[in-house]
Amino acid sequence: MMQTVKGYDLLDARISIFNIRNLRHIDWVLSVLVLLLAVVGVSVLYSASQSASSSVLYYQRQLIALLIGLGLALVIICIDSRVLVWLAPVMYVGMLILLVAVIKYGVEAKGGQRWLQVGPLRLQPSEQSKLVLVFSMTWYLTKIKDRIQKFPFLLIGLGIIGVPVVLILKQPSLGTALVLVPVGVVMIYVAGCKWWHLALLAAIAAVAAPLAYPHLKPHQKDRIDTWIHPEKASSDDAWQPLQSRITVGSGGLSGKGYRQGSQTMLNYLPEHHTDFIFSLLAEEQGFIGAVAVIALFAAFFLRGLSFAHDASDMQGTILAVGAVTILACHVFVNIAITVGLMPVTGIPLPFLSYGRNFCLTAMMCVGVMLHVPVRKQLFE
Amino acid sequence: MAQTGQKKRPDGVTARVRFVMIGLVLAMSVLVVRLWDLQVVHWFDYAQMAEYNRLRPERLKAPRGTIYGPDESIVLADNRSACDLVIVPAECRPMEIDAVIEKLDELVGIDEAALRRKIEESKSRPYRQVVAKQDVSRNDLMRVEEFAYALPGVFPVARPQRRYVYGDTAGQILGYLGEVGEDELGKYKLGDLIGRSGLEQVYESAMRGTDGQLVVSVYRTDRRPQLRTDALGRAYVGVDSYGRQLEQEFRVDPEAGGSIFTTLDIGLQARCEEILEDARAIGAIAVLNADTGAVLTLASTPGYDPSVFVTHGRARDREEALVGKLKPMRSRAYQEAYPPASVFKVMLAVAALEEGVIDENTTHYCPGRFRLDGVNQVWRCWKSSGHGNISVVDALAFSCDVFFYNVGLALGVDRINEWAAKFGLGRPTGIDLPHEVSGLIPSRDWWDQVRRPQYPDEPWEWRWYPGKTVNLAIGQGEATTTPLQNAMMMAAVINGGRRPRPFVNMSLGPELSEDFIGDRTIDLVHRGMRKCVDKDRSPPTGTGKAAKIPGMIILGKTGTAQIVSRKQLIKYGKDENNIPYFLRDHAWFVAGVLDREPRIAVSVLVEHGLHGSSAAAPLAKLVIEYFYASRQPPAALQVAQEGGAR
Repeated sequence: MMQTVKGYDLLDARISIFNIRNLRHIDWVLSVLVLLLAVVGVSVLYSASQSASSSVLYYQRQLIALLIGLGLALVIICIDSRVLVWLAPVMYVGMLILLVAVIKYGVEAKGGQRWLQVGPLRLQPSEQSKLVLVFSMTWYLTKIKDRIQKFPFLLIGLGIIGVPVVLILKQPSLGTALVLVPVGVVMIYVAGCKWWHLALLAAIAAVAAPLAYPHLKPHQKDRIDTWIHPEKASSDDAWQPLQSRITVGSGGLSGKGYRQGSQTMLNYLPEHHTDFIFSLLAEEQGFIGAVAVIALFAAFFLRGLSFAHDASDMQGTILAVGAVTILACHVFVNIAITVGLMPVTGIPLPFLSYGRNFCLTAMMCVGVMLHVPVRKQLFE
Repeated sequence: MAQTGQKKRPDGVTARVRFVMIGLVLAMSVLVVRLWDLQVVHWFDYAQMAEYNRLRPERLKAPRGTIYGPDESIVLADNRSACDLVIVPAECRPMEIDAVIEKLDELVGIDEAALRRKIEESKSRPYRQVVAKQDVSRNDLMRVEEFAYALPGVFPVARPQRRYVYGDTAGQILGYLGEVGEDELGKYKLGDLIGRSGLEQVYESAMRGTDGQLVVSVYRTDRRPQLRTDALGRAYVGVDSYGRQLEQEFRVDPEAGGSIFTTLDIGLQARCEEILEDARAIGAIAVLNADTGAVLTLASTPGYDPSVFVTHGRARDREEALVGKLKPMRSRAYQEAYPPASVFKVMLAVAALEEGVIDENTTHYCPGRFRLDGVNQVWRCWKSSGHGNISVVDALAFSCDVFFYNVGLALGVDRINEWAAKFGLGRPTGIDLPHEVSGLIPSRDWWDQVRRPQYPDEPWEWRWYPGKTVNLAIGQGEATTTPLQNAMMMAAVINGGRRPRPFVNMSLGPELSEDFIGDRTIDLVHRGMRKCVDKDRSPPTGTGKAAKIPGMIILGKTGTAQIVSRKQLIKYGKDENNIPYFLRDHAWFVAGVLDREPRIAVSVLVEHGLHGSSAAAPLAKLVIEYFYASRQPPAALQVAQEGGAR
């Protein structure tokens, strides 16, 4: 028993760094939910691949990315997460270096997000930073334990997120930055900070937001203006949000049918295979299909949070919360943009949007989520 | 063991995780509510917007109805397929466009500067079709197709083009087409053609047809689908810029306009126009079927070719037609009224006989002049030596003015008006052609209502006085009638007393008044008018002897309409040829044929022709000769030559 308690000791020989037998304890409920989402994702992309503008078979590429992601997820399940948390400071520094490098040497892709060509690999540091930040925050929060209740420690925690967020904003990738901030806040909250500390910060942020506006890039300003005053927007700026709403709204209760959506098939909605994939789903499958997918996501997240709830230690809880929040923020922000509740920023929808880098991130998050109950099993 | 594990987590962690769960469910609920709002509550609006995005309607113009002669073998106006060469600037790379324009010029000859200007003008809408050359010939078209590889963005578009088969023959009757004005939009779209005169105007709604529609589902490419036409002239929508075949959602083919069959005898029409032109006459010839009122001819010179209004590159002809000094677009047959002069005597004779004012034996003495008691004015007979004692038959034959001065006075202005109305003089005939003028037979009422306000300071002008009746009796003074009205009057005289309503559209059919002339009267008038033509030997001769055709019973009556008083002409001396053209008398001749089928009524007017007997009567003879002789179309009747691919 005592040895198990010493579980934090890396030198404990009975807990190997890599144990393939971890796979025996995989949670099947979450696995099935992920499988369902992946199936939905590939079938939706299959539809998008048939549409007018695409010459690429997105679903095939996505399928391959999913399989690679699956492999990574399985590896993560087998690795003792304490090792990864222990390595977090190193990863964090490496991440910062990459983020600086991408600003200097990166190749610009559409939407502001940049990538680095390293040999055959296309690294999107802002993508990889998401998971690194989860591990870094876990490292920090488990280190300081309940000192998080003190305001300076909370600020340091925010600073850990803040530095890469600022670098990512420089790229500029507003969407990724916007996702990372709530992830950090939720992790700090679960770690036990004083709620009014967060409330205070939220109030300051609310006051500060208008001050940040002038520093945004012109296209980012346009998107926000368009969202706030759609009637004033020039036709080009308003085009995509409007078409997205038309696409979703015209789907109606039961949808136009698989691969029957005129808005997407005739290419009235740009980016309908990436950030606006949910519009395609909502057009083809209607309210029923869209809500079903949202329900699937909700079940997936709740299952993930239940791992956090039932975790044997703080590290597991925070890791699971972090992994869930990353994906949940993507889902919420992406769909909110799709249905016109938020201004347009490039945020993909996990498992559905085409994008191989993000696909790997999502699958790795799944791996982290699945690892948490596995650890508990091992400790017991 | 469990406890030890639990201790690793501070208190309240599970509560916080549960709180995150609740937050997550709430966030997802917000999305569901929003989706409900978009997809269920406002579904219809968005569905409509999506359809509006997707569907692009293209109008398919309906071909206009054909105008035929009496049967389908004679086509007066139809549609040919004209081919325009258009260029879509966006389908042609910017650096290619100069080469394309030059190549086009080399192949078919275009106005390069104008095309460049048009392309420049449509720069903001690069997918618009810019017309490079209208109405290209088949040869040009083949050359363009041959070099299609060097002409990206250039393709032919067919459209129906109105064709007036016989050119300017019957141009005024057929009418012309013009673009709709902005006040007429509604049923029409800008650029549509609408009938502006003649049959084209009257039967616009019947001949217009119903436009069709082609609705295609388009990709979002910011470009309009290009409506093209295949070899058969059927419209289709081709591929878009990405080479994607656009889907035809539905198609309503245009419904061609209804055709019209007309009573026009196009051969006779052409011949009449030729007769007028040969005589260098500005005037009109109206020929009616005397028994039905069917219009066989309404010739008027000068004429115009309605094609100039729809054919590209005939702007000068168009201008000439519109503003020509002689008003070639106005049909002198029914859109211009002239003093009927002695032609009026036919009506007066009928009226007097029917009213019992005179009978066969009533004679009046004609000393060559006429006076009214207490009026210091002399009315002359055209024959200054006088006709002596003369009765109605001879008065018609020799056109004695004095006889009819007396008759007119005896009838009085009211009865003259009454009978003029019965013959349809001085009022619209009701012919199915637009802008008909009514002419005028002055009456006491007219004098009171129209003249009095015109001359407020000259009370002597307010009252009808007997001298006016004397003038009216020989169709002078204020009286005016149209050649068509006179032909109609002749028709009534020929057919025994039933005034027909003239008509051009066969489907209207004959419409005749009650028989309002007794047989005895008809007989007397026929005798007088026949003598007018037949008595060509041993003076006195009939005034209409120039219209005599041996072996035919022809009725005739000459007329010579003064436009200015004799006094004004005295200064030009004895020789009529010294009188300026525009002061010369108009020449009338009305004629009818009794012993042939169909019986026709002819009315000839020659403006400033001096004498009905010499200027108009010979023309009537030619008309009648042609009509009853061979019905072969004369050389003048040629199918108009027009450019374009046929």
